[in-house]
Amino acid sequence: MIHSLFLINCSGDIFLEKHWKSVVSQSVCDYFFEAQEKAADVENVPPVISTPHHYLISIYRDKLFFVSVIQTEVPPLFVIEFLHRVADTFQDYFGECSEAAIKDNVVIVYELLEEMLDNGFPLATESNILKELIKPPTILRSVVNSITGSSNVGDTLPTGQLSNIPWRRAGVKYTNNEAYFDVVEEIDAIIDKSGATVFAEIQGVIDACIKLSGMPDLSLSFMNPRLLDDVSFHPCIRFKRWESERVLSFIPPDGNFRLISYRVSSQNLVAIPVYVKHSISFKENSSAGRFDITIGPKQNMGKTIEGITVTVHMPKVVLNMNLTPTQGSYTFDPVTKVLTWDVGKITPQKLPSLKGLVNLQSGAPKPEENPSLNIQFRIQQLAISGLKVNRLDMYGEKYKPFKGVKYVTKAGKFQVRT
Amino acid sequence: MPYLGSEDVVKELKKALCNPHIQADRLRYRNIIQRVIRHMTQGLDMSGVFMEMVKASATVDIVQKKLVYLYMCTYAPLKPDLALLAINTLCKDCSDPNPMVRGLALRSMCSLRMPGVQEYIQQPILNGLRDKASYVRRVAVLGCAKMHNLHGDSEVDGALVNELYSLLRDQDPIVVVNCLRSLEEILKQEGGVVINKPIAHHLLNRMSKLDQWGQAEVLTFLLRYQPHSEEELFDILNLLDSLLKSSSPGVVMGATKLFLILAKKFPHVQTDVLMRIKGTLLAACSSESRELCFAALCHVRQILHSLPGHFSSHYKKFFCSYSEPHYIKLQKVEVLCELVNDENVQQVLDELRGYCTDVSADFAQAAVFAIGGIARTYTDQCVQILTELLGLRQEHITTVVVQTFRDLIWLCPQCTEAVCQALPGCEENIQDSEGKQALIWLLGVHGERIPNAPYVLEDFVENVKSETFPAVKMELLTALLRLFLSRPAECQDMLGRLLYYCIEEEKDMGVRDRGLFYYRLLLVGIDQVKRILCSPKSDPSLGLLEDQAERPVNSWASDFNTLMPVYGKARWAAISKCQGAERRGPELPNTASFTTSGPLIPEENKETAQELSDSGALMLVPNCQVTAEYFEKTWLSLEVAHQQVLPWQGAVHPDTLQMALQVVNIQTIAMSRAGTQPWKAYLSAQDDTGCLFLTELLLEPENAEMQISVKQNEARTETLNSFISVLEAVIGTIGDIKS
Repeated sequence: MIHSLFLINCSGDIFLEKHWKSVVSQSVCDYFFEAQEKAADVENVPPVISTPHHYLISIYRDKLFFVSVIQTEVPPLFVIEFLHRVADTFQDYFGECSEAAIKDNVVIVYELLEEMLDNGFPLATESNILKELIKPPTILRSVVNSITGSSNVGDTLPTGQLSNIPWRRAGVKYTNNEAYFDVVEEIDAIIDKSGATVFAEIQGVIDACIKLSGMPDLSLSFMNPRLLDDVSFHPCIRFKRWESERVLSFIPPDGNFRLISYRVSSQNLVAIPVYVKHSISFKENSSAGRFDITIGPKQNMGKTIEGITVTVHMPKVVLNMNLTPTQGSYTFDPVTKVLTWDVGKITPQKLPSLKGLVNLQSGAPKPEENPSLNIQFRIQQLAISGLKVNRLDMYGEKYKPFKGVKYVTKAGKFQVRT
Repeated sequence: MPYLGSEDVVKELKKALCNPHIQADRLRYRNIIQRVIRHMTQGLDMSGVFMEMVKASATVDIVQKKLVYLYMCTYAPLKPDLALLAINTLCKDCSDPNPMVRGLALRSMCSLRMPGVQEYIQQPILNGLRDKASYVRRVAVLGCAKMHNLHGDSEVDGALVNELYSLLRDQDPIVVVNCLRSLEEILKQEGGVVINKPIAHHLLNRMSKLDQWGQAEVLTFLLRYQPHSEEELFDILNLLDSLLKSSSPGVVMGATKLFLILAKKFPHVQTDVLMRIKGTLLAACSSESRELCFAALCHVRQILHSLPGHFSSHYKKFFCSYSEPHYIKLQKVEVLCELVNDENVQQVLDELRGYCTDVSADFAQAAVFAIGGIARTYTDQCVQILTELLGLRQEHITTVVVQTFRDLIWLCPQCTEAVCQALPGCEENIQDSEGKQALIWLLGVHGERIPNAPYVLEDFVENVKSETFPAVKMELLTALLRLFLSRPAECQDMLGRLLYYCIEEEKDMGVRDRGLFYYRLLLVGIDQVKRILCSPKSDPSLGLLEDQAERPVNSWASDFNTLMPVYGKARWAAISKCQGAERRGPELPNTASFTTSGPLIPEENKETAQELSDSGALMLVPNCQVTAEYFEKTWLSLEVAHQQVLPWQGAVHPDTLQMALQVVNIQTIAMSRAGTQPWKAYLSAQDDTGCLFLTELLLEPENAEMQISVKQNEARTETLNSFISVLEAVIGTIGDIKS
């Protein structure tokens, strides 16, 4: 299925290659580079490229391209998902999925790739199982290893692979039994010039961290399950039970995993927690413009909005910006023309604003379009859709687990047009 | 560290590997081996230390073993004689008490990829198939496929295949999936693994135990299975139901495809499934992974071909945010184009209008073409926007707007007036060949309505010497000659100059020949010129057929979740041909660009138009003259040969219907006015053998169906059936135009 994998960095060096069937020459990547050149911007390389003998399916993650070589017809989503899984695994193992991290751990990378695919077919991809086969590097372990000479490869086979429930290993034991759930919601929205919502939607996930002994059978219920109109589930969830009772009933995998992801679409009202007042203008035939934006809270349910960052891609003719923020700090990169304003949190008494002058290239025509503002923020202890966990019950085991639920709302692709 | 060439590195490492002191120190030994591997992965030729590495494989350290095996697999094809030495160690490891070591050794041995290794690996593989550790069985099962590949095209080992088929019952789910993968490769010549009823049901029952990759692959294998009864079919669909809600989009798409294929005789089930995965698709469309998003968008477009209104209420999902990569934006714009309906047209157009001023010229142009596409249905609004865009006086925008106008005026003659008013002045902002051609064509064909047309063309004639594109000169010749026919006084002089230039001075043969041709044509006389040049100025029926070519789900179900939707059908055919027939074939140009330049008629639709006009063996004669009286007489004297009911939504547009029927040579004898209830129409057609078809259409709005009764003057079922299919196609096409 997947013949070979090439890892390519932003400057076009192939710094790692792995072949599962016959060796495919590096020159196949030339087609990729060609497409990259044509696309002008690195990010615009199309994910599927055909060459006379192969197809190249690539993903772009953290400034790296994962280019897979395919020789037969495959479902494209399958390959794309798998490549993302590879990148996720690297991230999981090395803390970041960067060229430096991969080069430093090249041996582990090869071991992982060897276990994840055989003859081009995905084998072990669950992080739980992989970690039993190949232990992730830690500073402590590498010190210990260098003293004792022991390795970071498990000497025994993963036990979980033979249990009746494929996602959970048998004989788990903890001294503290804990079950934590994180409800994370991201707001994707486009706000138009006048502040009206063009499009808004909430993408939510519930991530779980379960450390429970034995074979616990959990059921999680919500105060308002009707909110979830479009949900996808971890394989452990009993679908029939959800359909009939709207209760999540499952035997959890051990450790961290994503329980469900859901979407609350624009049909239900999506609250927009911030507003932006802006006036950006460029004068005709002059080399200056004005820039003035203010951010304020709106529909924030009484919670503090924090971690606000505003990013603006200014037009090409902008040379420099002289701005004064009332709060936080700003940077403008004259090469990429990106303005970043790190605001921090909003205090309603004094709204943060950023105003000043824009220097334009003299003689150039004034930009036709005002730039869009990209906004990041975070609200703790609030799920903006109003989703609330009602209770968690455990069956099948005798002990009393410690339970906890945390809510957080973040901005996803949150864009304000000006 | 000083730079060392690969030879020096090899020498140094070789020395280190041979050093007994280092060999005694496990840690240092392993570090040296890691260095070898690191160099290998960077592309340095490390085959020089093969001998030493083989020695290093005899160790208890499992990491070291892994590294050495990795090394061997890379260089074995280069050093086959030395690699044979390693086989012995590998064979020994295959019976190690630790299952990890056994699996590792077996996997490495199967991946050696050198000739002659088969005889050594056969026995270990057979042992591996019966190993008690599932880890080893997984490796062994795939090893069978690798072994088969090493043999080349030799015969299939029947015993091995049987063994693999029996392992499909293995308790480990990955072994089961690997068996399928392996069998598929071994039996490639014979059409792959056979899925019969017991296997299919076994796999369906194990489905929930598989991981997402396994599920996705088993779903593709199950496509081969044909259920024997309807009951079985619905049982299977029930079993698969939960997969439609899987968290992996790949599995959801795989399951959807299986549903679509299995339920090919149940259109309502298909529609229902597409309804249910709407959410998943939409979620994938806004997923964090841009590649996933792209693939999902391609599939959305595919679904829209059959269910045009499917995503209409979610049109805002397809608004572009400016940070998205190009290929996604282009797809989104195309999707938006197809989602337009009466309620959202204003919002969509406002949004597209915004994209037209995007910094990226390509994207801006795509947005303009998209507005042009929508203009076929919502002409006035779009023409107004396009006219405003001309006011921006931007070169890249003006040229595409003019091209859009050219295409639009051909399909929608009603906008001629508006376009002609918008055109003056835009010649200053057009520099490229395509744009100039479009402008010149418009000036030539509709010149009589544009007061300053001759003067604009005159500018082009003045500058013809510095014109670089021959195509522009050709277009100019034709346009000027056409304009000459309608406004001779203003054009005669410059036409003479242009012809003189083309014949005497022009270097390009094509242009010169065209000039000579027109010159001689003019000599023959003005009537001849008119006969040849005054072709129709528009052809609305073309747009009608193109826009509404709604395809049944079954026509693309088998392409769903393959690479085909990502490429588009025409391009896919070209690539497969290039890949299949001629491996060294020339590379396709532009395989990677997804830009759509909005051609007048896309290839595939041309085919549809063709099919419509000559389906089957039936040849309807154009201009069959049947008077109303004759029709009435014949109608009353004949029996109804065929009666059928087709679904029909909303009111009828008699003109549209009449035009469409005209295209396939069916004449309208009489028709009720729009809005009458019940609505009736009488049609007649004649084929080349003289057989007459008389048809009555009866629409009763409360039933939302159109009743068709056909009478035939000679009873011949074949031709009757083909006639009905033609009629059905036309009515089906028109039927869903949303009023």
